[in-house]
Parts: sequence; structure tokens; C-alpha cells
Amino acid sequence: MATVSKKSLLRGMAVTILATAVLYGCKDFLSTASEPQGTLDATTLANRTGVEGSLIAAYRTLDCTDATSGNWGCAVSNWVFGSVAADDSYKGSSSTDQPPINDIEGYHWGTPSADTYLNQKWVIVYEGVVRANSTLRLLKQVVAASPTEYSPTEANQVAGEAIFLRAHYHFEAYRMWGNIPYYREDDQDFRKPNIESAAVITEILKDLDSAIKLLPTSPRNGQVGRADQWTAKAYRGRVLVYAHQWPAAVTQLKEVQANGPYALETSFDRVWSAYQDASNGPETIFAYQASSNDGEPNAANANYGERLNFPYSPSHFACCGFDPPSQNLVNQFKVDPVSGLPLSITAPATWNSDESDFAAGDMTPVDPRLDWTVGRDGVPFKDWGNFTNAWVREVVNAGLYMPKKIIHEKGSGAESTVGWQPQQQSSINIHIYRYADLLLMLAEAEVETGDLAGATAIVNQIRTRAGVFAQGPGTSRADMAIPINDPRITWAHYQIGLYPVFPDVATARTAVQTERRLELAMEGQRLFDLRRYGTFIPVITGYLRGVGGGREDTRKAYKLTAELPTARHRWYAIPLDQIQLSQVGGQDMLKQNTGW
Amino acid sequence: MRIRGISSFQNNDPLYIVDGTPVQDSYINFLNPEDIQSIQVLKDASAASIYGSRASNGVIVIETTKSGPVGPPRATLRVRTGIASPTRGLDDMLLTNSLDYFQVMKATYANAGQLASMPKTYGDPNNPTVPNYTYADAPAILSTDAYGRVVTVDPSKYSYPNTLIEPASAGTDWWKAVFSSAPVSDYNLDVRGGGDANAYAVSFNYFDQQGTAAYNDYRRGSVRVNTSFNRSKFNFGENIALTVDRHVGGTGTFDDASGENGVLGKDILLQPIVSVYDISGVNFAGAKGVPGVNSSNPLKNAWDAKDNINKDNQVFGNVFAGFDLNPQFSLKSRLGFNLQQNSFAGFGAPTPQNNEAQLGNSINENNFNSTDWTLSNTARYVKTIHSASLDLLVGQEANAGTNRYLQGSINNLLNTGLDSRYIQDALGDPTTKNVFSSGGRTALLSFFGKAGLNFADKYVASFTLRKDGSSNLGPAHRWGTFPAVGLGWRISNEPFLSNNRIFSDVMLRYGWGRTGNQNIPSGRIVSQFGGDRGDTFYDITGSNTTIQPGFRQASLGNPDLKWESNKSTNIGTDLVLFNGVLNVVLDVYNRLTDNLLFDPRTPATAGIASPPIVNIGKMSNKGYDFSVGHTGSWWNASLNGSHYANKIVSIDGVQTQFFGPIGTRIGNSTINMVGQPIGSFYGFIADGFFRDAADVTAHALQDGAAPGRIKFRDVNGDGVINSSDQTIIGSPHPKFTAGIDLGAHRGQWDASATIFGTYGNKIFENQMDFYVFQDFSSNVVKDRLANSWTPQNLNAKYPRLDITDTYSGAISSYYVKDGSYTRLRSMQVGYTLPSGARYLPGARVYLQGENLFTKTNYDGLDPAIPAGNFTGAAGDTRDQAMGVDVGVYPTNRIFSIGIVTSF
Repeated sequence: MATVSKKSLLRGMAVTILATAVLYGCKDFLSTASEPQGTLDATTLANRTGVEGSLIAAYRTLDCTDATSGNWGCAVSNWVFGSVAADDSYKGSSSTDQPPINDIEGYHWGTPSADTYLNQKWVIVYEGVVRANSTLRLLKQVVAASPTEYSPTEANQVAGEAIFLRAHYHFEAYRMWGNIPYYREDDQDFRKPNIESAAVITEILKDLDSAIKLLPTSPRNGQVGRADQWTAKAYRGRVLVYAHQWPAAVTQLKEVQANGPYALETSFDRVWSAYQDASNGPETIFAYQASSNDGEPNAANANYGERLNFPYSPSHFACCGFDPPSQNLVNQFKVDPVSGLPLSITAPATWNSDESDFAAGDMTPVDPRLDWTVGRDGVPFKDWGNFTNAWVREVVNAGLYMPKKIIHEKGSGAESTVGWQPQQQSSINIHIYRYADLLLMLAEAEVETGDLAGATAIVNQIRTRAGVFAQGPGTSRADMAIPINDPRITWAHYQIGLYPVFPDVATARTAVQTERRLELAMEGQRLFDLRRYGTFIPVITGYLRGVGGGREDTRKAYKLTAELPTARHRWYAIPLDQIQLSQVGGQDMLKQNTGW
Repeated sequence: MRIRGISSFQNNDPLYIVDGTPVQDSYINFLNPEDIQSIQVLKDASAASIYGSRASNGVIVIETTKSGPVGPPRATLRVRTGIASPTRGLDDMLLTNSLDYFQVMKATYANAGQLASMPKTYGDPNNPTVPNYTYADAPAILSTDAYGRVVTVDPSKYSYPNTLIEPASAGTDWWKAVFSSAPVSDYNLDVRGGGDANAYAVSFNYFDQQGTAAYNDYRRGSVRVNTSFNRSKFNFGENIALTVDRHVGGTGTFDDASGENGVLGKDILLQPIVSVYDISGVNFAGAKGVPGVNSSNPLKNAWDAKDNINKDNQVFGNVFAGFDLNPQFSLKSRLGFNLQQNSFAGFGAPTPQNNEAQLGNSINENNFNSTDWTLSNTARYVKTIHSASLDLLVGQEANAGTNRYLQGSINNLLNTGLDSRYIQDALGDPTTKNVFSSGGRTALLSFFGKAGLNFADKYVASFTLRKDGSSNLGPAHRWGTFPAVGLGWRISNEPFLSNNRIFSDVMLRYGWGRTGNQNIPSGRIVSQFGGDRGDTFYDITGSNTTIQPGFRQASLGNPDLKWESNKSTNIGTDLVLFNGVLNVVLDVYNRLTDNLLFDPRTPATAGIASPPIVNIGKMSNKGYDFSVGHTGSWWNASLNGSHYANKIVSIDGVQTQFFGPIGTRIGNSTINMVGQPIGSFYGFIADGFFRDAADVTAHALQDGAAPGRIKFRDVNGDGVINSSDQTIIGSPHPKFTAGIDLGAHRGQWDASATIFGTYGNKIFENQMDFYVFQDFSSNVVKDRLANSWTPQNLNAKYPRLDITDTYSGAISSYYVKDGSYTRLRSMQVGYTLPSGARYLPGARVYLQGENLFTKTNYDGLDPAIPAGNFTGAAGDTRDQAMGVDVGVYPTNRIFSIGIVTSF
């Protein structure tokens, strides 16, 4: 008995040892388990699907890409860097909420806190560059390996889109920091030194020239989110204006004006609208194509970066009270009761003297765009009922108003149903470049080249459109936008007058710049415009310390600790984090901007 | 659990060997403490290296109860039941009276000259009153006063959630609203026995601890069966434990990483003026209408999560067989396994009563499965010739693990009842349905040998060599070799020390060894691509409702990944003094981790893909451990102490620092810097408060400088306070930790006590952002007003109250506190009933008190800060965020009574 069981046990043991020996011999034991799980590999994507997907991802970085945290620093509208840091808006919310914006608003751009926001912007523009460059590399690889995947024409078009996007992302970086490194698809060294701002412009123009050659004249596949040749031409004009290359800018922008597919919307309410039928209208040159209820569980594509800028509780939106328009901006919309021209032009010493809440019932004549731009007490808020001051989160920080352009209409159905606080997320497209912006840039260039009549015509074209419709009662879509003299308007007196031909360059400059502020208010352009004009220091100093009879450091006590802008504010500080990461052999490859 | 410091930037859990089966686990919850027969901590590499791979962080060898005495079954029943209550409550720290809060708020606005902008919640600032209501929806309002406050309401208009009426409170004690004492009970029954050729031990355990936070409960049940059989030269058996645990409710030990989203954070953030219930007395109230408060009612939070359930099911154990050819030679095979399943089902409730109201509901659930097995085969040869002995061991081990994770969610359930909380199209809004799954695989293959020599019990030596292969590493570098040597000299056996009166036994030890680490996510040797609807997909068609797929590189692979190695040297001595009156063990060690596996950041110009994991860093740990014990006739005492000094020697040769994983409202307070310990605190140095305008002028240019605000030091002396003045402001690592165990028995009585202390470690009191700096109009500490800076109180504890001071709260040494404490962890008094009494078996009854007493200077809730849960692309990164107080459940004080009886 005992021997039998002993034998079987011995046999069992032998089997075990044998099984182990198989494992020894089997080299695959380790390598099989080394395969990554649940990911794609490079081979799977080396085809048309991969190229197209890579390009789509390059478009996606127009807004921040990650929905998990801290997206306000790279919002597509640049509201932090372009509006709050200029004279359009305050940070808003609570004093301690999102502390980096306190430092950006206070012009303390070198603090560790400000650095975190600046870093987000840097990270996302270069992620855009990386995705555009990956697309170009993959395209080359696919075209070489399997020529049937793309016709030569279409391959060029894909390359054109990627090169255009690369130019756009570098331009975003240029507007922020001026002196930046430029990356193309064959670059291997990610610690390149930055180049001078003028050289950056040259590189951007080089890419735009290539894109113009490669791109089709209408969006590929008829997909309106794509850049086409006209987008690239319009963009080239924009870059030339930023570069003060005035004659070239006039030529380029006039070509787009004369032959391009763009036009102004018939009325201003359609410029910022979440109605699908108003989306990607004739005025859109390039926009972030937002989408809501698209299956993404956190509403990451539904303007995640803009979501803080909605009225607070007890409004429908419930959060978060950021980016409220400044008193200075509200006063900017007041017009001369006789000429209907901006009060800041007709009464430069007093236009900004009104300190009080500009509420419904105050019949001071105003530009109708005020009530498409600013939510104010007692005035219908698109079709959401009347705005009330109770919707402001904390008056001490935020003042009395809230932004309005990015607010979707209730009737549009564009609101998200998912995510944290879905009421502040919608599929309203965010303009990156619209035709009114282009026209005003053309006017700017015409002033500088002496075509004052041309500039006057454009400003008046913009003002004429602005005078078509004002905010109506908003009980339905039908009465949300109504003629500016409609008797149903009881809360305001709207008026807008046209300019006689500008008599001289100085007058023309002021008029064009003022018009641009009114037309593009709260669209994240203001700081970059002021820099381009070269008036950032005096305008912001006036904003804080007194201009037109009012000063923000008495309106908002926290502004007393703001640093007055100096030469170093010509550019934002390059994120310290990135400077450290650029080190090679202990040397910083990225050079910090002067003064930071 | 960390042994001898921290050797890597991530994944520093020690390796547990339970009944011979290795498992790497942070908590090892599946073990019933009563089943544990012995625990041996192998700190020294020469001892640990036989466990080679994964032994870098030390090895803890646990043996469970194997067998009972030969004879009939013998059962032991252990029952313990008690009451737990938090050692300290937030109501001990924070205001609980609404008008007191008003006075703080008034000073905050008045000092900034902004009294006119102050919310009118309390009416006339000079004659403040608590309003009748903090909020009512328009249809219910009958009258308001001059300050816009609701005075009278029509209760008949109330309807939840559309027309709310929120009464104001004269002062809600939010701590008491949520926390209370709660019962704990623990039942154990084990049955053991055996014969000549077999032995068995079977045990059952049930543990139930209700949470001190409302609507929380933790229950664990386990069954363990250990058997062994001998049949002539064969022996075989198994050790298996089945464990099931259930955690019901929304809270864990750690609130959350930001300090504000859990019940504890909400307990701090909510002002006393908010009531617990609204006018209905049934529905919860919220902060709607209370300016600045964005948080929600913590009791509602707990209630909403009361059916959230976290389930863990686990089967852990091994089967083994051995063959003893003769007394010298034996073979052993063991198959260990660890099958785990973890699931969670949670509910997100609407919060219409909040300022930041959530209107929809949601559910989410997830399921994690893992299978891990280890097969080991060893042969052993033991030979003694005269006074010399030789012990040889050779073996082989194979380990493989797979895991799979699945999660899903859906919003806006039509019926939120428990029976309807499933992810199905018809039950909620199908367009919000979302699913995701992922998985991982790893394998390890090892060969090892060990030779032990002992000469006359005087000279002892051991030599270990181990080769390990890991699937996580590059094909050309999968195999690592890990040698170790241990030498011992029992001097007391030398003639010159024999019969020494002082030194009864003296052993000198030296150990050197190399251990490995390959604990990184699997599959990182190749580049990975992926995409996500929220990251790479885009609505290129302009539809506003659909997105087209997009892809990007998700991570960069590194085909050259190799083993991280940890070299360690240990010198120690074991002393028995005065014929056993004192036992002393002392060890000094030096550990150096090299080729540290780590994913150093790449510049943003390389994109956001996870950077490759590379073998690049170096980290050093030096320290000592000792214990001194006395075992007397009726009492015993032991003291053990340890010290380690951790230092980052090199990160990647280029970078000199990188931040830790923690990110709160104020930013990231921990940094990893060359020359400093891992996870050091980093920020400005706070040099008190600005005394006056002249002080502001004299000081370096500091943003927002004003009298009464915190003055930061100009570390680099350039006359400007900016990023360059940030520096190391403290270390969370203790300089010394100690434990004291005391025991005594006299007649039928026995008593024991355990004391633990940690000294020299710092805590970053992140919650001061709320209860001192009033982030989000948070509640504040009781003495916030009385101890604030004023021109008359220059040496105050807190800066000036000032609504425009957004500067003083920057990360600085002002948040860094001494985290030292000494705690009486447990104390027990027992009485043994004489056995043989009629009807009663012998039994021991005892009274036990845990965490009875703590001595500390820390003014936060509890100085015992557990590590948070942080995971980066290269694994668990919690060691980079030690000692940051983002809201930790205070330790419970537990009084219990127990009985142990055998029959």
C-alpha cells in the first residue's frame, strides 16, 4: 500500500517538476506577458485611418485637451491672458479662487502661481505643434509605404492642414511670449533654444505660405471645421498685421475681402450663437468646433475652458462667476447722444466717470453691442430671463456684470446633459478668427498705409451691422433679437452713429482701435491688440490709475496691489518649469524674456 | 508600511511572503490578524535577497497558524466588542456660532475698506442678526427686509427640489452633525487539532466597524483552512484564506487629494449659518444663498453615499508538497495563488440646495479582477559534520499575473431606488452611458541558490545568488543578478568572552546584498498610442453634436528598461546582557538605490505623451534600528527605535528637482530635489508679518505686501520675492521613531501597553488654506479673530483679516508644523478565570483601550497622517506626498471588552 502511494506521489512530483522545466525552456513566458494591454501600436496606425486620426487630434488642441483639471489657463478664448490681463474684465469669483489669475490680473507674471497658468498655455500650444508634426511624419511614412492610401493631391491637402495648424499654434505662442522655439516635423531635439520674435514671424509666414500652396479652396471633405486656402490667407494677413508689415497686410487682407468666402453676419446676435443654424456662418474664418452630448462623459468638448465664466447661483448656470466685464468696459459702450459715436471719442475726459451699476432703466444712450457682450441688472439675458446682480458671485471681486457672448441660448438645445455642472457647458463655437476681426485688421493696416477712407468704410460697415438688432425680451427665439428702436425695449436706449471720413491718421487710429475693442470685447483679443498698438503700458496704467474720469483701483480695492506695467510686460514670462526642463549640461536652452 | 526609508520615487511597498507565497500589497487587508502566528521583518539585504526580485523595499514574512496540538479538536473563541470615537473633533477647532462667524467676516471686509461690499446676510453690520432664512425660491417669499433677506415665507409653497426654503441657523456644529461614536466588534473562532500524520487549523472571523462618520460601515468575514499531511517521506498540504469585505458609505481613511470634496472637507468649508435640514425637516439644507460658499452639506453627502458599496473578495493561499529523501536532502514545491475581485457601485445625487447646484443624478460602477500565481520548487541539503554545518538551497520560481478592470456610468436615472441603479439604456439617459476597460499582464521567472555555513556556532556565513527575469523590462535586459553575503561572529563563544558576567551572548553581523525592483506598469518597453473622446476626438464636421476619432502618442516606450538595483550594507549586533536581563539588537545600514526606475519629465515641446520610464536616478537611505528588551519574571518591557535619512542623490543628471503629485487649491507643496529627502516641502520662508508701512518699504519687493500680511524671505537676496525665493521648508520624514511595549502579569491578572512616538517630522497643514485663509468663505478656527494681526497685536498667530489679501496664503513655511507626537496606542488589562469551574471553560476577559492619549504640538486635527493615494504614469507615488494634511479622519479612540476562551 505504502509503496503504491509513494510511487504515485513521486510521479506527481515529477510531473510538477517537468511542468516547471517546460516553463524554463519556454522563452515566451516573459515576452508574451510584456505586450501592453489596451493600447494601439505604431503599425496599426500606419495608414489612412492613422493619418486622419492624428490630424483630428491636432485640431482638438485648439481647446485644452484634458477635462480633468486646470483648463482655464489654456481656454480657446484666452480669456485669462487676453481679457482679464487687459482692461476688458476682472478675474471675478472669490478672491481665493484660482489664485494664479490674481497674479496675472495684478501683472505679477513671475510668481510661482502665475507660472502654473502660463505653463498650461505653453504645454497645450506645443502639444498642438507636436500633433501637427506627428501627422506630417506619419503622412510621409504612409505615402512612401503605401502609395494607394492617398492621391498626391489629397496628401498635399492633409499636409496643408497640418502645416496651417502648426503655424496657428506657434502664432498663439508668439502672441504670448514673442521669443519662442519653432518646431517642424523633422526636429528631434526638443530642447532647442528660442528664437527672436521677428524670426518667429518669418517662420510662421513660411509655414502659412506652404499651407496656402497645398490647401484646397474649400474645406476638404466639405467639413467646415477644416482649414482651407482662404483660412490660411486670412491668417497670413493677421500675422502680417501683427508684424506691422502694413502694405503686405493690406494686399493679403484685401484679397480675402474681395475674393474670399467670408461676410459679416446680418446681425450681431448670430455672431455668438449656439443655434446650429447660426454656427459656422459666413463670418467664421476659423473656430473651435465645440460639441455637446457627443458621447463624451465629462463634456470635455463642450467648451470646458470657458465654463467658469457663467453667472453664479441662483442663476440657471449656478457657477462660477469668472471673467466679469469691468466697469471701464461697460462705460466704453456709452455713446454720444447726438452723433451716436463712442463717448470715449467725443468726451475723452469724462466717458469713464460713471461708477454706479449700469442697470436696466438707465436710458443713457449705448451701443447695442453692450447687451450682446455684458449681462447687466434687469436686462434680458439672451433668452434666460432678466439678468440680476444676485447672479454675481462676490461683488467685491467681480463687480456687477457677467459675460454674455459665450452663453448659449436656452432655446438652442446646445447645453450639455453630462459632466460637473452641465448647465455651464454648451456646443457654442468659440471664434478664433472671425471676419469682423479681419476687417478691423484691414482697417488698421489701411490707417497705417494712409487709406483713411478705406478704414472709415470698414468701421462704418461694422457699426452698421451692429445697429441692426439689439437684445429683445427673449421670451422666444423670435423676440430675442429685435430692431434697436423696437418699442418692446424698455431697459435701454440703443444708438449707434457712423463716422465721417477720418480726417487724420491719429483720429483714424483711435477710432479703429476703439471700434475693435467694442466689436471684439471679451473675446480674449484685447491684450494682444494693445501690445500690437504699442499702447499696452499707457492704456493699462490709465485703466488702473485713471482715464476718462474713472479708475479701477478705486472701483476694485484689490487692484491697488497690481503692478503697473513696464517694459517687461511686453511679453509674458516663459514658464520657469519649461526653462528648467530645457536644460542641457546645466545650461538653460530657453532664454527667459527680458525682465522676468 | 515602509522599511528602512524610501528607496524609489514610486512603488515602495515591501514584499510580503505569506506562508511562502509572495504578494505586494499596500494594505494586506485580507489577513485576519488572529490567524497570524509569526511576523518576521527582513530588513537586511543579506536576509531578504533570497526573495530577490521585488525585495528592494524589505520583506515581511508572515506565517499563519499551521496546526494545533496532536489530539482532538480544540476550539478557541475570541470575542471583542467596543465603542470607537474620534480622538478629536473639528468642533474643537472651528467656530460653531453664526454671529461669531459674522464678526470674522466683518473684520475681513472692514480691514480692507470694503464693508460696503460685504454681503448683507447678517443685516446691519453694527447690529447683526441671524436671518430667518438664508434662501427661499421666489414663489415662497412673502416678505424681505431692507437688506434683501427673506423675512417671511409661505411654507405651503415649499416643494423639493423646485421651491426651496432654507432656514438659517444660529450656529450649526457640523462636526457633531456628521460624527459620533460607533460600535466595533470582532469575532473569531478557530478549531485546531491533528494526529501523527496530519494537522489542521480552521478559523472563522467576522469584523464589523461602523464608521464614526454617519452612514459608513466596514465589515469583513474570512475563513482560513490550513492543513498538512505526512506520509512517510512525503508531506503536503495547503493554506487557504477566503476573505470578503464590504465597505458601505462614502468615506475612506483619506478624505480626498484636494482636501475639500470629502465629508471632512465639507465639514470645514460649510459656515455655521447653514442649517442641517431645510424647512421640511426631512430634506437636507444647503448653502444656497450664502455668499461665497461653494461646498455642500456633509451629512447630505454621507446620506447620498450611504448605499455606495465597495466589495473585496479574495482567495489567497497555496498548496505544497515536499519530499524528504533523508534527513539531509529534501524537495519542496509550492503553488501560490492570489485571486482578487474588487467592485464598487456609487451614486451621485442632485444637490439643488447648493450654490453650485447639481441637478441630475448619476451612477457609476467598476469591477477589478486579478489573478496572480507563483510556482516555486526548491531542493535543500543540510549536512552537519562535527561542529560544522552546511545548509544548501537551490530553487526556481515562476510568477504570472493578469488583471482586468471595467467601469461604467450612466446619468439621470428615472428611478434612483437601489433596485434601479443599473447601467441600462432604459433606466437612465442612454446618451450619457459610458464604459471603459483596461488590463495588465506581468511575469517573473527566477532561479536562486543559497549556502549557509556554521562553524561551531561561532562563525556563521551565508551566500545567496539569485537571477530574476521580468516581463516589464527590455528584452535584452530582462535578467538581473542579485548576490548577497551575510557573515556572523559569535564572539561570546570565543574563549576570551566565555562566561563573561556582562556579555552573556554577543553576535556580530555583517551583511551586504543587492536586491532588485521592476515594479512599474507593464508594457512600457514599447511606445503606446491611444485616444480619448475628451482629448483627441473632434467635431470636424461642425455638427456640434458628433465627434470624429483622433489618435495621439500616449506614451513613449523604452526598450532598454532594466532592473533597478538596491545595494545595501548592514552591520549589526545581537547582545544578551547580564544573563538575559537585557536583550539588545542594534543595526546600522547604508542603502543605495541605483538605476532607479523613473519617468523624468520631458519639455512640453516633446508633447504630453507620458515620458519614457528610464533607469536613471539614485537614492540613498542611511540609518539605524535598535531594540532593548527585558523579560523579567512578572514583567517585560522593550524599547525599539529607528532612524533613517533619505536623500535623492541624482534624478536624471539634468533635472535637479521635480514636484510631487499633490495639487490642492494653493498648488503643489512637495518637491523632489537632489540632495534633499523625497517629498520635501517647498515654498517661501515666512518671516512673520509686515509690521508697518516702513517695514514694507524696507523689505524686498513683494507682491501685495502690506502691514499684517505675511513677509516672505528674499532667499536669493535679489530684492524681489519671486519663484527663485522658494526653497525647502521642511521634511515629512521623522528623525526618529520609537515604540515601547510593556507587559506584566501577576496571579490571574495581566496588563500590557504599547506606546508609539515619531519625532522631528513636519506636517504641511494644507487645511489652513480653508480654516485660516478662508478659501471659499470657509469656516475658520475659533481664535481667528482674537489672534489676528492688528497694529496693536504685532506678534499675532494669524495674518490680518483682509478680503483683498490673496497673497499671504501662498505656499510657505507658515503652513509647516511640527508633526511629532507620542501616543498611547493601546492598553489592556486582563483577568484569567480559573479553568475547571463548573459549566464554564477557562477564559480570559480583558478591557482594552486604544489611542487613549496623544501628546503633540500639532494644532491640526490629528498628527497621524496616512499616505494618500497617488498614482503616476510609473506607478504609486504616495511617498512623494507624505505629511500633507488635506483632511484626514482622526484616529479613533476605542474602548472594548473581550473574552478569549478555549474548549
